[in-house]
Amino acid sequence: MGCKAVKYELVSGFETHIELSTKTKIFCGCTTQFGGEPNTHCCPVCIGLPGTLPVLNREVVRFAIKAGLAVHGKIADVAKMDRKNYCYPDLAKAYQISQLYEPLIIGGYIELNSGRKIRLHHIHIEEDAGKLIHQHGDTYVDYNRGGVPLIEIVSEPDIRSIDEAKEYVEKLQQVMRWVGISDCKMQEGSMRCDVNISVRPEGAEKFGTRTEIKNMNSITNIARAMEYEYERQVDLIESGGKVVQETLRFDDATGTTSSMRSKEDAHDYRYFRDPDLVTITVPREEVEELRAQMPELPGEKLERYVDEYEIPEKDAALLTKYRNISEYFDKAIDGVKSPKTVSNFIIGQIFRRVETEADKEVFDVAVSPAQLNELVKLLDSGKIRNNLAKSTLEKMLDSGKGALEFISESDMGGVDDNALLELCKAAVEGNPKAVEDFRNGKEKAIKALVGNVMKNSRGKADAMAAEAKIKELIG
Amino acid sequence: MVTREDVENIALLSKLFVPEDELDGLTKSMQEIIDFADAINNAPSSDVGFDNINNLSNVFREDEVVPSYPVAEILKNAPEQAEDHFLVRNRE
Amino acid sequence: MGSIAKIHEMLVKKEISCTELTKSYLDEIEKSNGTLNAYVCVTGDEALKTAAAVDKKIAAGEEIGLLEGVPMTLKDNMSTKGIDTTCCSKILTGYKPIYDATVWEVLKAQNAVMLGKTNMDEFAMGSSCENSCFGGAMNPFNENHVAGGSSGGVASAVGGNIAAYGLGSDTGGSIRQPASFCGVVGLKPTYGAVSRYGLIAYASSLDQIGPITKSVEDASIVFDAIAKQDKRDSTSLGAVGGETYSKLNNDIKGMKIGIAREYLDGVRDDVKEAVLAAAKVYESLGAEIVYFDLPVLKFALPVYYIIACAEASSNLGRYDGIRYGYKTAHYTGTHDMICRTRSEGFGEEVKRRILLGTYVLSAGYYDAYYKKATDLRGTIIKAFNDAFEHCDVILAPTVPMTAFEKGHATSDPVETYLTDICTVPVNIAGLPGVSIPCGFNANGMPIGMQLIGKSFGEAQILNAAYRYQQAAPEQFKDTKWGVKL
Repeated sequence: MGCKAVKYELVSGFETHIELSTKTKIFCGCTTQFGGEPNTHCCPVCIGLPGTLPVLNREVVRFAIKAGLAVHGKIADVAKMDRKNYCYPDLAKAYQISQLYEPLIIGGYIELNSGRKIRLHHIHIEEDAGKLIHQHGDTYVDYNRGGVPLIEIVSEPDIRSIDEAKEYVEKLQQVMRWVGISDCKMQEGSMRCDVNISVRPEGAEKFGTRTEIKNMNSITNIARAMEYEYERQVDLIESGGKVVQETLRFDDATGTTSSMRSKEDAHDYRYFRDPDLVTITVPREEVEELRAQMPELPGEKLERYVDEYEIPEKDAALLTKYRNISEYFDKAIDGVKSPKTVSNFIIGQIFRRVETEADKEVFDVAVSPAQLNELVKLLDSGKIRNNLAKSTLEKMLDSGKGALEFISESDMGGVDDNALLELCKAAVEGNPKAVEDFRNGKEKAIKALVGNVMKNSRGKADAMAAEAKIKELIG
Repeated sequence: MVTREDVENIALLSKLFVPEDELDGLTKSMQEIIDFADAINNAPSSDVGFDNINNLSNVFREDEVVPSYPVAEILKNAPEQAEDHFLVRNRE
Repeated sequence: MGSIAKIHEMLVKKEISCTELTKSYLDEIEKSNGTLNAYVCVTGDEALKTAAAVDKKIAAGEEIGLLEGVPMTLKDNMSTKGIDTTCCSKILTGYKPIYDATVWEVLKAQNAVMLGKTNMDEFAMGSSCENSCFGGAMNPFNENHVAGGSSGGVASAVGGNIAAYGLGSDTGGSIRQPASFCGVVGLKPTYGAVSRYGLIAYASSLDQIGPITKSVEDASIVFDAIAKQDKRDSTSLGAVGGETYSKLNNDIKGMKIGIAREYLDGVRDDVKEAVLAAAKVYESLGAEIVYFDLPVLKFALPVYYIIACAEASSNLGRYDGIRYGYKTAHYTGTHDMICRTRSEGFGEEVKRRILLGTYVLSAGYYDAYYKKATDLRGTIIKAFNDAFEHCDVILAPTVPMTAFEKGHATSDPVETYLTDICTVPVNIAGLPGVSIPCGFNANGMPIGMQLIGKSFGEAQILNAAYRYQQAAPEQFKDTKWGVKL
């Protein structure tokens, strides 16, 4: 077995469904709350009783416009609702009200860290279907989810690697959470991806035949499925076969994809304008109003943290992962000399208290941004030293109390040069063993001497300065 | 030209069974209706366009929760149900 | 005086109690429904309960509304909570809605006494009422003739005096055509005037609920009651043109009544003569008759069938045996269950229209049929708008013929569709149209004519209809059936 003669490039585009966190469903007043006992979030509209009619939830349009603005899309002047006809037990009316011919948002992009832009074809609004539970061949139907509003974000086939795919999904998730239109919880199904994937010889212009892996509900599985499907398609082509355009499902247990097609599914959705719903004309003023209300987006924020505050990009990315963290940070840096110090406290200490992603997203910490700000200002003014600040922050995090509860007047003020010299001398005289060790090449022995200085200064001495001074004395 | 295959295909899309012995008759009848419908393709083209009857736009409801129906009402007309679900029992 | 005003007066003057009145209607239904087959479900207990409540109010000296205590009926495609609503289809066997259609909610709140639900062509698809799983409703003028369709049951009941009035629905003529066949008045309001919420959809962009009554005044009263904007129907606007009842008896001197020559093409001679005679009556009342051409009308029928069937194919997808209605007894797997349920539950004409609708929407045909038909719809609307530059209302036959004998409907679907040629343009353009009796053929079967108005011009066409009714009362003949007020 030699190397493959041709290298294959992966080409992928995503169709991402995101459930909007409006209070009510898209076409009726039933709640959108996740869970709930089966068929308790339903009304005649939800179960498609004959004679019922849909009325569009205004907030769905506004949320979708926010989504569009968040990805730099164009908000259409005129949008219309279409029916997508297919008969399946989870679809109460045998059609899904969606948008094909005139979607609400056109274009847009997601920018990756590399600077590459994954272009979006469009974003449209539509209704979710109910849920089927298959048990011993029986099918149980629950329509609670039926009619929950969705946006579908359709990308161009611009993704070229599994890493880009993962980043695309993460970035989409981040920005949609950021603008507050969805919780994007893949495990609860409020964000789901259909992955289109094809391969082509590197350098080729023409796309290969694509397959579509339906309903992926975790980033890990997206990566696994894409890896499997890439290999499968390459192997198929290498062995002289042809990729068949088809819809696939991913099997979590085996890590493989398999065809979903059955002879029962004829694929022709017969889209046409829904005669029960009228045209949506989006007034420019409303778009501008929503644009004005848009928060600074994570990408813009990250750039600013790096450029203005000189925060390392890695840290800036952590601070901008969730809107609550960045807002916390923005409040805590008010008037401080070095925002980077604040960043270090947040990432170094506070993050240890909010370990899970869910907690990070909420970012409900015992110390308020104002309290952290006060602590950092004490440090800025030289009244306390870094290590005292660190230990104080731990106490603050334990208790929720402010810095001044733990720092007395006598703790404040630094140690001047003369005093430091005296303290260092005392440390050297009092620890001959450590001095000898250091002189014999045990670099670490100096730590004991610095520790002594810190202890006797009750933490107020500058540890770096003390170390330098001690080295001078014994070096 | 409406073919047997067309009729089979649209029957599948419509979730209707067409018995084999009715297929030819139905194909013929469909062809006649389509011939009749084809008259529109002799109409002069126009750019008037059509949106919706009264040219309505922006009819919305506010995002306010209305209580849902009791599950017993929702399931009241279900031919089969179990554990508060609509049910399609496996009969194989 | 129309039946509604008459009944109102009798109730207020205590000439009869509402309970007695209701009982006499129920008795007459009992006697004649075996022949007329107008009702598919009689709700006597509920009717008497409402009647008792009305009597109590009257006894207490409270004022009652015009429609209060008036016995009426609904076509069986309007959702009535707890009462069978079948669309006269096997597929909705046993279906008892859990909510009321807006029109029924409105009338119920006014203590309308519903006697029962009336017969129709299955899912409103047909022109004879014979496509009903309960068998067809018969014509009160001659019970060997059909009542027409699809709202044949309402027209038969009203013509047969076993309901004072009724609500039908009109997608391509389903109110006006049976009204014409049964010698009664049928109003198809402007699209959007009456809420469709709770009307079981045939073709959503064409369907409209309206009254079938004995007189123009009655149609006007009922229209005013039900033409309300409804926030549950996005396409509903209510009575944009305002009240109609107070405007009856307006002068029609100088009114321009247009006759499009195309409407008279292919119409049977007796029908044509009756309509032209009516035009003469109008002239004698001071109106001016203007003739014009509406060439685009020749495309109306295919446009109608393409759009109606396309929408129907989608609207009727939901009948799958899972949530309500009929479910097949024997099947293997879900797909098989759905196909069997639908194949067994729908009648031939419904299946034919579903297939046709699926065809015109399917890949490769959408542009040639559905898209083209929709574009032509715009052209037809414009042609009507242009016509109304030259006239105030349009006069036309309602149906090219009179009621045919039962079982006489041709088996050729295209020929059957031609019955609707005069009625469908109004639905395509969303305009109001009222059919009123204007004569009888040699066999004594009623002939109807329709007055077509501008969008939301109900007041104008009802007024014109009223003036004709006043001038030619002999055309508004009663039948031998039912309650004599």
